[in-house]
Amino acid sequence: MSDWRTLAHVVVDPLPADWREQLARRLGQRPRRIGAWAELALYGARLCLDAAGESTLPARAQLRVASLSGPLAATRVIAEQARSSLPMPFAFMQSQPSQMLAALSQQLAWQGDARFMLCRDKDAVLRLARLECGPAGVLIGWVEEDRRTEWWRVCD
Amino acid sequence: MNEVYLAGRGLASALGTDLGSALVALVEGGVEPGRFELADGSAWPLYTIADDDSDWTSRARRITQCVAHESGALAGERNGPLFLASSSLDIGAREDSGEFDGDYQSFAETVAGWLDWRGPVFTVSTACTSALNALLSAHTLIRNGAAEQALVLGLELRNRVTVGGFGGMQLLSATRALPFGEARDGLVLGEAVAALHLSRKPSRWRIAGGANVVDGRDPAGAVPSAVVALCRQALASSALQPQDIALIKPQAAGSPANDATEAEALRQVFDPLPALVSLKAAIGHTLGAAGAAELALLIACLEAGVWPRVDYAQDAALNAPLAGRAPARARHVLACILGFGGGHAAVVLEDRES
Repeated sequence: MSDWRTLAHVVVDPLPADWREQLARRLGQRPRRIGAWAELALYGARLCLDAAGESTLPARAQLRVASLSGPLAATRVIAEQARSSLPMPFAFMQSQPSQMLAALSQQLAWQGDARFMLCRDKDAVLRLARLECGPAGVLIGWVEEDRRTEWWRVCD
Repeated sequence: MNEVYLAGRGLASALGTDLGSALVALVEGGVEPGRFELADGSAWPLYTIADDDSDWTSRARRITQCVAHESGALAGERNGPLFLASSSLDIGAREDSGEFDGDYQSFAETVAGWLDWRGPVFTVSTACTSALNALLSAHTLIRNGAAEQALVLGLELRNRVTVGGFGGMQLLSATRALPFGEARDGLVLGEAVAALHLSRKPSRWRIAGGANVVDGRDPAGAVPSAVVALCRQALASSALQPQDIALIKPQAAGSPANDATEAEALRQVFDPLPALVSLKAAIGHTLGAAGAAELALLIACLEAGVWPRVDYAQDAALNAPLAGRAPARARHVLACILGFGGGHAAVVLEDRES
């Protein structure tokens, strides 16, 4: 990341007990129908953009999110539901990383290139994001459910 | 910047466990979906791969090895990046075992082990657009000289969560998928494992460009302005104009609302519309694998002169009829996938022999 200009870098680890309340205050409402993991992504992304002095992402910027935990907690819930009955739609949606991307897009009122992309080697994710983004840069987050959320806003 | 080519491809789907079998099945009129029963007693049509191994993992391993072998990627160094694209990953195995010990990357690494793959391993999970996004990332790495070759694997195999989740959202048809059809009433899901082997070495199909656009305003459907932006960005990245595209493979999953949204958006960009083709009536909607599975099958069809039948009434109101035969010449092909979660992705292929 040495040749990038870092507009903001935010690490929240450990998570404050009231992080969900902080997010609701920042957004003016509690996020609806998204799981805890997506909410944690939204919390970190919003903090990072605020630190960068940006209300949203520029149109040509990119969004990348990685996570080793992913929405596995929601996946476990939906698998239990599927074992005995028809799964609940919202639980199913919360088990999909794409719903986190949709939530970020919606909350940021932003349309653009967003992906959930993961490699065990965190640097490999950053290198790939570096190659994929243009001058408007990227907002990139690493979000581990119940533990931490780390975000960079970087550009050329 | 390097050019990037599709060096090889493989596919296991309901049409067969390799592309040769799939083409034969298409010529013979295709296959019918099976029925997948859920715990509550409901059953939904599902296009399944003909492999009745009851052990999810051994089945997945065997199918994946065969498909990767068919793509030609295993004949080389196996040291490029491997992208596993899936929306369900190994949930089928987790359902069977009840174990949730591994993290979100562990299945991709398991797959790499099955293939004795020694390069970096990525997981891409953006629902239905997963495989096209994986393809775009692999393209980026090769184009920028960070890799000589890459393997994109799209994988969706049977599991209760996916069928039940889509059933619970009332997105499934109880009978069959009718892409752009007059009587379309929902998706039919399908299993697929697809492999796309990308390389710097010139071959017939060049990956000219592509794009990915997420718009979360409708988490379960396509957004018209995003489809338009997607097409325009994909064309721009390929240095092409709308009239350069001779064939479009739209998402066309048979959804009443999404098919209409997509057709209208395509007509905004392309006037007149080029030939259209859909493969979902043949293999179902294979979700995270769909981008790779449909590209592999489409290219095989174009090379062999085989074309999927359209044996149902199309929706005249869409003004976007599916072609009854392959275009005589299709130098540039646009393949789109619109996904659950506001994802919209596309790639443009160039047939250098057309």
